[in-house]
Amino acid sequence: MVNNISKYIILIAIVIEAVVFAVLAPQFLTVDNLINVALSIAITGILAVGMTFVILTGGIDLSIGSVLAVAGIVAAICAKSFGGIGVLLGIAAAIAVGMTTGLINGLMVSRFNVPPFVVTLAILTIARGLSFIIAERYAGSTSVSDLPPAFAFLGREKVFGLPVPVILMLAVFVVGWFLLQHTRFGRYVYAIGGNSEASFLAGVNVKSVTTWVYVLNGFLVGLAGVTLASRLGAGLANAGMQYELDVIAAVVVGGTSLSGGRGSIVLTFFGAVFIGILNNGLNLAGIDPYLQKIALGGVILIAVLADQLTKR
Amino acid sequence: MKTILILLTAILITALSGCEQRSVNTNSGSNSASAATKKIGVTLLTREHQFYKDLEAGLKEEATKRGYELIVQSGDMDLAKQQSQIENFIVQKVAAIVVCPADTKGIAPAIEKANAANIPVFTADISASGGKVVSHIASDNVQGGKIAAEYIAGLLKDGGEVGIIGQPEVQSTIDREKGFKEEMAKHASIKVVATLNGGGVRDRATKAADDMLQGNPNLKAIFAINDDSALGALASAETRGVKDLIIVGYDATPEAVTKIQSGSMLKADVAQDPKLIGSKTIETIAKHLGGESVQAVVAIPVKVVDK
Repeated sequence: MVNNISKYIILIAIVIEAVVFAVLAPQFLTVDNLINVALSIAITGILAVGMTFVILTGGIDLSIGSVLAVAGIVAAICAKSFGGIGVLLGIAAAIAVGMTTGLINGLMVSRFNVPPFVVTLAILTIARGLSFIIAERYAGSTSVSDLPPAFAFLGREKVFGLPVPVILMLAVFVVGWFLLQHTRFGRYVYAIGGNSEASFLAGVNVKSVTTWVYVLNGFLVGLAGVTLASRLGAGLANAGMQYELDVIAAVVVGGTSLSGGRGSIVLTFFGAVFIGILNNGLNLAGIDPYLQKIALGGVILIAVLADQLTKR
Repeated sequence: MKTILILLTAILITALSGCEQRSVNTNSGSNSASAATKKIGVTLLTREHQFYKDLEAGLKEEATKRGYELIVQSGDMDLAKQQSQIENFIVQKVAAIVVCPADTKGIAPAIEKANAANIPVFTADISASGGKVVSHIASDNVQGGKIAAEYIAGLLKDGGEVGIIGQPEVQSTIDREKGFKEEMAKHASIKVVATLNGGGVRDRATKAADDMLQGNPNLKAIFAINDDSALGALASAETRGVKDLIIVGYDATPEAVTKIQSGSMLKADVAQDPKLIGSKTIETIAKHLGGESVQAVVAIPVKVVDK
């Protein structure tokens, strides 16, 4: 019931903002622009699915933005060094970078009881340092560019009229939704976030499930990293700055609770759509960039407030 | 309440950590230098931009030539960090301090402290308002915006719509935008139809350019306030299949210059000379310490580079 109310709120909010922007900006309600909005939330969306899992267990991952940068650079270097096969190698390497980092995060949280904030904050800093060192060593600058044309597929091509990043995002949402709603793993994720102690007593392997959640999140960070690098045509040391905030915002605005156990992938999808439309609409309507920041912050506050009120 | 608290803490911690990335004291190990060696303390805005790497190279080259010992630290765009770095310089009794302020106004109290300790302060690239600064060494950003506008106006003989991808948080880029708009106001047939915030980084600039091109199908040209923004606009235009856009960037980084020479839609760049800013800064300090009078503003010229 509580979930239904939250869902209702975010859907109504999306409809209201769509109507407002349709009036303010004539280009808003066109197929082209809606695809444009979808593309603009593709990376955030992929990351938000992983973050939803993490937040549902009561955790948080602040490291995603900088790990994404490392993954993108590693992918770009592979593509550049090994030609055609290097593109596939690059995708694999980016995902490996993400999963390894996820494993470290997960083990620190689950086996050593380090608070997720602290672990992922440390990894954030380490990964950002690494991204600059690797780019500097390899390319002598902050970007690894001039990539083979095949590398552009993930980020720049279209299939059936839809940009590949959008298709990836939709696939990730569907798989994430299935995992969470229709598998034992998904039920455990909710259980751990709801009451970790009780889950343990009920026989859930809390440590193992928690670790896997961070690894899964890392997989998606790697995927997002290589997709972004492909789209930008370069692996960038400063990519993904403060993405963790955008992604946490999408999850929270959707209505997933930061204290864990409550929320869903569908809600996160709506949250990402809502923020995507907001950014796009404000830009199309030519709203002053300073005012845009205020609007975005205000919306996040309202969303968290609504979350609190419906919980009572 | 708990949720809000957690969110706030998350934002705070992330914001702080974002500024915490690197602080390496490159030269502090060389205390074995002779006592006569004069130390110059430098707090850079950041080390995470090519521009500042080049500026640092210019500082070091000239300092080595003149036999100064440099203590270079990165402020990581964090005002508080820069303040404490300046305080440390004062304790170390450096001969001069160079600041590239993270905040033009906020840096003033720290400069006043250095003034009180009779240590001359110089600003490079970004100016300070407040405190006594001997000399400010920087590119003329308003001028840079103007010559970008002139270049675009020269290509758009029949006029048309142009857009700006800016970064309204930083004074130097605000000045570029201002110069661009001032110059464009002289061309009646050209209209600035959109100014969006690309944050000065490529991923965000790409998104801003997507929206700009979406909302303004007749857009003829984009002025981007730095090269990450310009390359972001280029990535956006290429992905969208746009063919005839004119993009003019700023800084002439090697990657941007390659794109300009390859005949892409990135047609030209306003080139600053960060290395020259660095070496002129040391030169100005040397003059001042040698008792010569120096100008309050040392303007480093900018120019347009194209194919």
